[in-house]
Amino acid sequence: MATQIIMDHTGDSRHEFNPKDAAALLEAEQRFNALMRDGYTAAVRSPTGDAIVTRKFDPNAEETLFVPRFVGG
Amino acid sequence: MSRQLLRRCGDAARRVQAAWRRFREYGFCSDREARGLALLRAWLSAEQLAQYRLHRHFEVIGCHSGKRYRIRYGVSMNVYELDSLGRPLVGRCFVPRDNLVAGDVMLAQKIGLETNERGVLLVAKTFSPRWRTLQ
Repeated sequence: MATQIIMDHTGDSRHEFNPKDAAALLEAEQRFNALMRDGYTAAVRSPTGDAIVTRKFDPNAEETLFVPRFVGG
Repeated sequence: MSRQLLRRCGDAARRVQAAWRRFREYGFCSDREARGLALLRAWLSAEQLAQYRLHRHFEVIGCHSGKRYRIRYGVSMNVYELDSLGRPLVGRCFVPRDNLVAGDVMLAQKIGLETNERGVLLVAKTFSPRWRTLQ
């Protein structure tokens, strides 16, 4: 199972999907693109544990984290 | 005898300190705050996690300048650019647009500095670290 984690006021919302299920994969890609349009940054983790920003949906990513846009505090 | 007693007292003090840190981190936490901190811990490097457990802050390296930043526990005015000696040089205030808990804010700031330092510094406001230290 792969997971999309979206930071929100509850801590985070998680959407799990089976990357081998075409319908679930399509839904995950649509969610990814919608969040990108909304200004979120998507990050995945490299094998060494570093965060890597990605702008394109990766069906093989086990965990994708979505961070809201930054504003000056 | 007294050396053994001192060592036992030292061990006990360390255990009490560790328990107090855990209580402070989880005891007063709401569920959402605990979720945010769990997410933060999952995404920190081993070195950053060790720093955070010890000091409630961790350091990141900016991806463009190579400068070091310290991210303290908090939801605003909690990021400091460090000088070569590791002292806070200037505060950089930038936060995610949405209303997030501390763990999420700190993780977002880490990812921002490690992957898009110039972008986050463009929106960040500066503040005096001395002023914040006095709070």
